Amino acid sequence: MYKYNTDDTQFLVERVDQFEKQLKRYLVGDLDDAKFKSLRLRNGVYMELHAHMLRVAIPYGVMNSKQLIALADVADKYDRGFGHFTTRQNIQFNWIEIAEIANLLRELSSVDLHAIQTSGKTTRNITADPLSGLTEGEIADARPYCELIRRWFNLHPEFSWLPGKFKIAVNGAKLDETALRIHDLGLRLLRNDKGELGFSVYVGGGLGAVAVIGAETASFVPVEDILSYLESVMRVYNLKGRRDNIKRLRIKFLVKELGAAEFSRLVDEDWKHTKNDPELKLNINHLAQLEKDFALPVKPLEIDRFEEPVDFNYSIWKKNNVRAHKLSGYSIVNVSLTKQGSSPGDVTSKQMRILADLADQYSNSYLRTTKRQSIVFPHVRKDQVFDLWQSLEEHGLASPHQGTLAQIVACPGNDYCDLAKAASIPIATRVQQRFDDMDKMLDIGDLNINISGCENSCAHHHIADIGLLGMKKNNVEFYQITVAGETLNETVIGKKLGRSICGDEIVDAIENIVNVYLENRDEEEKFKEVFKRIGLAPFKERVYD
Amino acid sequence: MTEDIEMTSVVNSKNESVQLVTVEKWLESIDSLSNKGVGIIVKPTDDVGLLKDSLDKIVIIALDFNNFDDGRGYSHAYLLSKRWKYSGEIIGVNAHIDQLQFMLRAGVTSYKLLDDYENFDEIDYSNGFSICYQAAANNSGMKEKF
Repeated sequence: MYKYNTDDTQFLVERVDQFEKQLKRYLVGDLDDAKFKSLRLRNGVYMELHAHMLRVAIPYGVMNSKQLIALADVADKYDRGFGHFTTRQNIQFNWIEIAEIANLLRELSSVDLHAIQTSGKTTRNITADPLSGLTEGEIADARPYCELIRRWFNLHPEFSWLPGKFKIAVNGAKLDETALRIHDLGLRLLRNDKGELGFSVYVGGGLGAVAVIGAETASFVPVEDILSYLESVMRVYNLKGRRDNIKRLRIKFLVKELGAAEFSRLVDEDWKHTKNDPELKLNINHLAQLEKDFALPVKPLEIDRFEEPVDFNYSIWKKNNVRAHKLSGYSIVNVSLTKQGSSPGDVTSKQMRILADLADQYSNSYLRTTKRQSIVFPHVRKDQVFDLWQSLEEHGLASPHQGTLAQIVACPGNDYCDLAKAASIPIATRVQQRFDDMDKMLDIGDLNINISGCENSCAHHHIADIGLLGMKKNNVEFYQITVAGETLNETVIGKKLGRSICGDEIVDAIENIVNVYLENRDEEEKFKEVFKRIGLAPFKERVYD
Repeated sequence: MTEDIEMTSVVNSKNESVQLVTVEKWLESIDSLSNKGVGIIVKPTDDVGLLKDSLDKIVIIALDFNNFDDGRGYSHAYLLSKRWKYSGEIIGVNAHIDQLQFMLRAGVTSYKLLDDYENFDEIDYSNGFSICYQAAANNSGMKEKF
C-alpha cells in the first residue's frame, strides 16, 4: 500500500489543524452555517437525521490490520461501537459528536487515515478494482495511478470549489470492476498498438434521478499526459458547469447540454495549451516508487499436497467466497458482513478487531473492502483457508452469502438517512428471509439485488440484476423495479419493469422475477443473458398479472 | 444566495485607489478607457476570455470571490496569470479567509478580505499548508511534492 512519508504525515496534521480552527470558529459563532457546511463536507462530516456522520477514506479499498484497529478504536471511543463500509471504499461512523471530530481525525492521522475530500463539491476519493494486483489478466495495477491522481487533486488550488461532487474510478482489470462509466469520470487502463500504456476516458456518467452512461472523450491518453488531460476536463467543468440549479450540478448535465462531441472539443482546445507542459507530466519516478509500494507482499509458494476435512458448510462457503489468486499457493478470501436485519456493510468494533487479528494471522496483515460492502483477505495460503474459515465460523463471520442473492447492497434508507423516501434494510431482510434456503440460493447463483431508498441511488440500483428504487406515494412506500443493469462486461442501465409496487408486495415481485429467470435459464446462463434472450415481457407478465 | 457587493474601486498594492469597470463596460469602450488607468472587476459569471486581447491595457484585475462556493474565480486567476501571462495585479476581492491559500496559489497576487474577517490572523490562514501535491501558478514557500 501507499507508504506515507514525513511530508504526507505533516500534510495530514496541517489539515486537521486547519479544520480544528474552523470548527472552533463555528462553535463560537464566528463561522456561519453555510460556509461551515462547505468546509466540514470537505473533511467528510455530514449532518444526518440523528447525529453527525463522518466518512473516512480507505484508499483503493486497501488497509492494514493496524488501521482497522484504529477504526475499531474510533467506533468505540467516538461512535456506538459500529462502523459502516460503503460501496465506494470508505467507512462511515454515524454517531459522532461534532466537537470531538478534530481529536478523532488526529488519532486517525497517526495511522495514515484521513477524511479529506470524502465529501463536498470536489474530487472525491478515487476508486479502483478492489482486487487490484491480485487477479490474472490485469492490464496493470490501477492503484499507483489512482494515488498519483488523488495526490494531484488533493486541495488543488483551482479545482477545490467545483459545481458539484466529482467521482473518479480507475479500472486496470480485464473486465470493468469499478463501474467506471457511471462515474463523473472513468479511466480505463489499456495498451495501444505499440504496447504503450494509457487511458481511455469516459466523462459524465452517473446514477441519481437521471442515470447516464459516461461518454468516451478520449480513446487513448498516454499515461504521462493524464494529469493535464484531467485538469482540462475539470477546467471546462469548473467554468461551464451548471451552478444555478441544484439538480443539475454534476458534470453529466454539462456533457448532456453541450453534447459529448462539443464537450470533448472544448477539453482538447484547453488541453493543447498544457499537454506539453513539463510540470504537468506524470512523474515517472514517483510512479515507479508507487509500483513498489503497491507490489504484493507475498511471493509465489510451492505448497505440499494437503487435504482439507470434509465439511458441507465449508464447501458451500468456499465455493461462494474463495477466488483464485494470481500467485501460486494463495487464495483470495471474501468475508460477507451481510446479516439479516442489519445494514449491509455494518460492522461492529469487535468484528473489526477479529478481522484485524485474522488478517495478521492469515493474510500478511492486509485487508480490502469491496463495492459489495464485503471484506477481502487478499493473500491467504491455500493450506490455511480451512483454518481461516473455522476461525470465521467461530466468530459468526463465515456467512456463505457472498456471490448469492442474499448479498444485497442497500443504502441506510429512511431508518437512518435524512434524504431517503423509503426503507431499504427492512426490505433486504425480508428478501433474505424469503430465500433462506442455501440449496435454492446456490441454485440461483450470483444475482445482484440493490436497494436505494431515494433517487440519489446510493445503492446503485440501476446497475443491478434487480434494482429497487424507494419512493413515497400518499405516505405509502413504493418501489420502482429495474432489471438487468450491469457494468462488468458493458455498462447497461437497468430497464424499468413497469409501475412501482408497494412495500407489502415487493418481495413477491422479486420472487416472481427470480422464478422467471430460473424457468428460462439454460444451464449456467446469467440473469442478464436470459434477459437479453427473452426480453422484458415475461418478467412483466408474471409480476403484474 | 450570496448578495452581490457592488465594487466600483479598489485599493491596489501601492495603496492607490483604482476605479473599476465591468467586463461589458470595458469591452464597449476599450479605446476611451485604455489610458484612464482603470481596472476591471470580474464576476464568476463573466467570460474572462473576452479580456485576453486587451490584457496589456488593463492595470489591475479584481476577481470577486464573494460567493464562497463558486470556484470559477480560481480558474480565472489561473488563465490570467499562467496561461495569458497577465503581468498586472490580480486582486481577489470580497475574499474569505479560509480560501486565501487557494486563491494565492491559483494566481491571485493580492487580496482584500471581506469586512467579516477583520480580526483574523491572515498570515496564519494564507500559509495554512507547507506542502503541496500539484503544480500551480504560485507555490512559493511550499514544499512541492509532485
